[in-house]
Amino acid sequence: MVELETLKPFFAERQDVLNEILGRYPDYGRRSAVMPLLWEVQREERQVNEARIHEIAEILGIQPTEVKGVMSFYSTYHEHAIGKYHLQICSTLACSLAGSDEMYDFISEETGLVNGETDRQGLFSIQKVECLGSCTTAPVLQVNDTYYERVGKSRCQTLLEAFRRGEMPEPWRERYGDNEGAEKAKPLQNTIKTGGNA
Amino acid sequence: MSDAVAEKPKAITSRHDPRFEVTLYKYIGVENSHTLEFYQSHGGYESAKKAITSMKPVDVVEEMKKSGIRGRGGAGFPTGLKWSFMPPVDGRQRYIVCNADESEPGSCKDRYVLEDDPHQLIEGMIIAGYAISATKGVLYIRGEYYLGYERLYKAIQDAKAAGLLGKNLFGTDFEYEIILHRGAGAYICGEESALMNSFEGFRANPRLKPPFPAQAGVYSLPTTVNNVTSLASAVHIIGKGADWFSGMGTDDSKGFHHVQVSGPAKRRGVYEVPMGISYREIIFDLAGGPTEEVKAFIPGGSSCPMFPFTDQYLDMPMEYASVAKAGSMLGTGGIMLIPQNKCMVDALYNVVRFYAHESCGKCTPCREGVSTWLPSMYKKMLAGLGEKGDLELLEDVSSNIRGRSFCPLADACIMPVQASIKHFRPEYEYIIEHGKSMYPRQSRWAD
Amino acid sequence: MKVKVNDVELDLAPGTSAIDAVFAAGYDVPYFCSQEYMSPIGACRMCLAVVGAPRKERDGSWTMDEATGQPKIFYFPNPMATCTTAIMEGMVIDTLSDVTKKAQGGMMEMHLINHPLDCPTCDKGGACELQDRAYEYGSGHSRFIFDKRHNEKHHALSELITLDRERCIHCKRCVRYFEEVPGDEVLDFIERGGHTFIGTVEEGLPSNFSGNITDICPVGALLDTTSRFRGRNWEYDHTRSTSLDDASGSAITIDARTGRIERIKAALNTQVNKNWIDDGTRFGHEYAASSDRIKTPMLRKNGKLEPVTWEEATLFISEKLKKLSDNQLGIALRSDATLEEGVAAKSLAEYLKTGQIDHYPRYASSVISANPASFNDLATAGAIFVMADATEEVPMVDLRIKDALKGVTPPTLMAHGVPIADLRLKERMPRKTNILSVAAPYRVDLMKYAAHSMVYPTGTEVEVLKQIIDASTDAGKALKESLSAAEKAVIVLGAFVLNSAEASKLADDLAKATGAKVMKLGAMANSFGLESQDVLPAKADYSYPNMLSGSAKALIVSGLNPAQNAEVAQALLKLELLVVHDLFENETTALAHVVLPAKSGYEKEGTVVNLEGRYLNVNPAPVDGGQAVDFTGFVKELGDALNERLEGRSVRSARRLLKKSLELDLSELPLEGTIASAKAGKVAGLKTNTSGNALLVPSMVRSEYLNRNAHLFASTGGNALRLHPADAASHNLSAHDVISVSVGGFKRRLSVQPSESVPEGMMLLPALPDQPVGLVQLDLNSIKKEQVALEVA
Repeated sequence: MVELETLKPFFAERQDVLNEILGRYPDYGRRSAVMPLLWEVQREERQVNEARIHEIAEILGIQPTEVKGVMSFYSTYHEHAIGKYHLQICSTLACSLAGSDEMYDFISEETGLVNGETDRQGLFSIQKVECLGSCTTAPVLQVNDTYYERVGKSRCQTLLEAFRRGEMPEPWRERYGDNEGAEKAKPLQNTIKTGGNA
Repeated sequence: MSDAVAEKPKAITSRHDPRFEVTLYKYIGVENSHTLEFYQSHGGYESAKKAITSMKPVDVVEEMKKSGIRGRGGAGFPTGLKWSFMPPVDGRQRYIVCNADESEPGSCKDRYVLEDDPHQLIEGMIIAGYAISATKGVLYIRGEYYLGYERLYKAIQDAKAAGLLGKNLFGTDFEYEIILHRGAGAYICGEESALMNSFEGFRANPRLKPPFPAQAGVYSLPTTVNNVTSLASAVHIIGKGADWFSGMGTDDSKGFHHVQVSGPAKRRGVYEVPMGISYREIIFDLAGGPTEEVKAFIPGGSSCPMFPFTDQYLDMPMEYASVAKAGSMLGTGGIMLIPQNKCMVDALYNVVRFYAHESCGKCTPCREGVSTWLPSMYKKMLAGLGEKGDLELLEDVSSNIRGRSFCPLADACIMPVQASIKHFRPEYEYIIEHGKSMYPRQSRWAD
Repeated sequence: MKVKVNDVELDLAPGTSAIDAVFAAGYDVPYFCSQEYMSPIGACRMCLAVVGAPRKERDGSWTMDEATGQPKIFYFPNPMATCTTAIMEGMVIDTLSDVTKKAQGGMMEMHLINHPLDCPTCDKGGACELQDRAYEYGSGHSRFIFDKRHNEKHHALSELITLDRERCIHCKRCVRYFEEVPGDEVLDFIERGGHTFIGTVEEGLPSNFSGNITDICPVGALLDTTSRFRGRNWEYDHTRSTSLDDASGSAITIDARTGRIERIKAALNTQVNKNWIDDGTRFGHEYAASSDRIKTPMLRKNGKLEPVTWEEATLFISEKLKKLSDNQLGIALRSDATLEEGVAAKSLAEYLKTGQIDHYPRYASSVISANPASFNDLATAGAIFVMADATEEVPMVDLRIKDALKGVTPPTLMAHGVPIADLRLKERMPRKTNILSVAAPYRVDLMKYAAHSMVYPTGTEVEVLKQIIDASTDAGKALKESLSAAEKAVIVLGAFVLNSAEASKLADDLAKATGAKVMKLGAMANSFGLESQDVLPAKADYSYPNMLSGSAKALIVSGLNPAQNAEVAQALLKLELLVVHDLFENETTALAHVVLPAKSGYEKEGTVVNLEGRYLNVNPAPVDGGQAVDFTGFVKELGDALNERLEGRSVRSARRLLKKSLELDLSELPLEGTIASAKAGKVAGLKTNTSGNALLVPSMVRSEYLNRNAHLFASTGGNALRLHPADAASHNLSAHDVISVSVGGFKRRLSVQPSESVPEGMMLLPALPDQPVGLVQLDLNSIKKEQVALEVA
């Protein structure tokens, strides 16, 4: 409660951002702004605490409980602050088949953290996440909002070193297939006719 | 009646067919393809202009119907037919919703469109909006696709500035705007009614149907929900004509689809392929074949029951009817190869864990069965604690969940479980009997 | 529409749900998420059944089954949740097949896998839907060998409701209830999937109707804290009765154990409260079990009250009465006295030849309307104008207005009662707030749900009503037009209007001019009944306030405590006889010659007439009240002392008298009560203050008993003095300060609650039976801080 009174309202000095977000939706759909408002707070504060929940509820004219219900439904809003580098390791099948379990073990060992933890300095948080939609370029490591695709062991090492230096490398987008540029992905000419188990 | 009917050319069903040309994915991966300038200099917004200035909305719907395109989000409902379900115009606001909450494991075809060709999608939405007389579009993009979100945000701004969104499009009185809305990590939002709840600022539980979106969708207003590549396809169906589109594929399934090959394949990636193509051509010719021995493949994203990696299934044409007949679904086209020496029980635990994590918790079979009981049973087997009867229990509990839940999420989990037991029962029996996997875990992490 | 359930063929209305078809046919399916009067959602999946229907060919004829020559039945591929399936012509529902059985059994098993095995210590045990259904539809053993989900077992959602998160089966009844019924979304699911739990971030579930979730919870997850661990369901005596807490006549079930009331639950009255009650009614029962109840008659001997027998007490009274002349005795009942008590008092007054008889509190004008609105009129109205703090005066009015906002008419009852799944109801239905206008002298709760609301200066009711009648302002004109235009319009009048004869007259004129029906909110549970039975003074000078200021030489008061007013206390000292019939010792018993033990509203047998004019039975719960009697009992004892067999000497005797005048047998009323026409009594003669710096306001929580209702006290913080924050600052008061202060001669103990919803310059405090709604002077110099709020560091 004390916090509620001393914390400055988040949107007090961001009226333009607030109005832009509210302006996206029709009058009868004001409540739609709940997710973008939560995003706005989280991007800035790396969490959405209870004071912000109350503030958003007030803005939208709904109950704080409803905001909390919505927020807690999704896996990417956080009630507690996450680290500066939020290492999200995709663990779903395609990535798992490409070694994401080993990547998790490696990152866990390197950072000394296990799934869901944040280090004391607030540098790293590590989290196993579900399918990030990068199955053809697995395994994928999402750091904050950036995708690093096809992260092999040495790349993973390089990435962690960069983060420790405070750098955020450019995203890696490595692909085969039409998603690499359709020109480069002509079918192979020699059709292989074998390969089935039967 | 002796008029000679001009022989129809044989439909394209292979990428080896020289007539096939990559269309929707043509500029994916090309530098700067996401900019308005690039898009317009490559013929962008011509289809929308054509539709709005020279066609009536009903003609656009008819063209879509004629093309035979079916929804590319997984369920495969005919897109044109869906558009025609909209009630007559009655002065209420109407919405077209683009479902860009791509999250089915094995699928990533939409992401590249969102990131590399956002204007193509915007154009598709404009056409759809015009066809169903909706002046507002909602583009719901999953929260993790931040690059896509940024590029779409910019693309929408640019399109607005260029007069391609807003009032009086192409000199007509048609107006159209797009609300870009970012999700926050919930697979269930791919279900259209959950997506609408999420968009409206509620918890993303699926809604009761009926009413269907066309009657009461977003904000209880008439709404049509389409997948990203369904909408982007509209650009080309209108641009090149329905006949061009239906010139690809089979009687059952027309046009092209995007398959996404993952797992141990040489050239994992997204491929635009004509319907009717064989899985063998996709896996071997396009993706370069497996890098190791493979025992099964999932044809359309993790919820689609897997097929053994045998000639019977590899030579099957990729079309809705054949895949359904063989016991699975075409789904999103996310083809995943499962290596011979990957423990199937472990692989399925991964799948089950995904659905357990994504269950919304609304209905009992999904919350208690999928989200609680199934993962526990898998964990028990994988921990080497399996006992006689466990497999039968798993089967029975699965049968109690399947077809009993509120929305298809529980079935999406149960179907692959049941398929894995059907095709790979010995692996389950082995792990229960020996307390360890037939295939111990091995690292596939590249350096 | 013809449907067939197993072997039973039925003809039901289109739109009926399949689950109601099953019950109408006399068959059964289990269910947890469906709930009468709420939207069906198909979440628990218990009511699965095999369902099929015939199909039509293109030409409109049925597709026939060649083998049978009957329309072919096409079955749905999976068992359907019958609660969310609407019946179709020719539908076939099979609740007995093996597929149905397996589906229901499988779902039962999944409900139980995470449900704790603490039935032996669970308050719901023996009255638990999950327990009963598991017994009927479950298997005797569990195949789930893993750890059950662990979660908080004693989570206080508020001071009044305790949540056991392990027991929750996620049926969503409670979450839906808050959104659909009172419209306060203060409870929601948090997290998702197997981690989902219900929770709130609002402190204390701010809703006036929160307790209903403890009734509808199908398991022991949501429990009434006042009765937690107090008894097992099979030990309770369940008494269906009518609440005496307000004028709604809401049906309640009183659960008592070994002579003590442990809890109040809502009972079903489809015409009045459906199955809901407000929190004041539900949680406000603890006073009745308070250990300081007066249990025996007491007589003042040598200045001290001493326990005596009824004979000794009534003998003393009869001797005193004999010395009185006509019209010297005053008799006053509190306005929640039963009709039978009122008749008994009247018969006693007649026998003793006194015209000084009254009930109190009451208003300057009648609470009986010429064109009365029923609750169902209210719930189906197309325009509603509320000039009251309806939520506090009669909370059920608030709730039934919210029915009207949803625009769904009350369901038609079926063979098995209220439909289990009314498919017209949906989650988050749009509310027609436009039909509701609310006017009050401060911001009242109902304004949150009204499109048009007006806070007018206290005491200007007459001006406000004139503006509407004369259509002299835009808002007034619009309101008058909407009341006239609506097919059914209802005007709700509360104390602020009824306290002024002139305002009441104007309101009646407005009703006549617009064709609206009028609902008048009586001050207490039986205001309507006591007025209609003319339990009123023979002339204006004999009204209760006059009795207190000298018109009576002897006084018998039941349930009233006039000596709270210091000035009145001085006057009472002069009485030759003061008899107090009450539950607890108080300022007036301290002056009384004789004190008699009274029954609480839960222990009486009798009848009340609610604000619709509906006669409803009050039934006695088996409570240990010592030698307590109601007023009929007192008349009987006094008659014995007087050697007279007085009329009204028992409930039965009073009912004989009433049967003559009402042509209604009150011992044979249906559960839903009977509406009978009534004439307004001669109520003139009450004067009300027209000036003051404080306003006594109605309260759903009975302020006179709040100190003895421990849980309600904790939840409300005690009787509050509400004032604008600016005023609080200028009077040097801060939130939660506890002060004592003299208000209109009454010493009141109040907790300070600054609130923006109070107009500046006005202070609000709850009315008491002896200090009813109206303006009053609060002596600012008399404020004493008894307890200073702790500063939060």
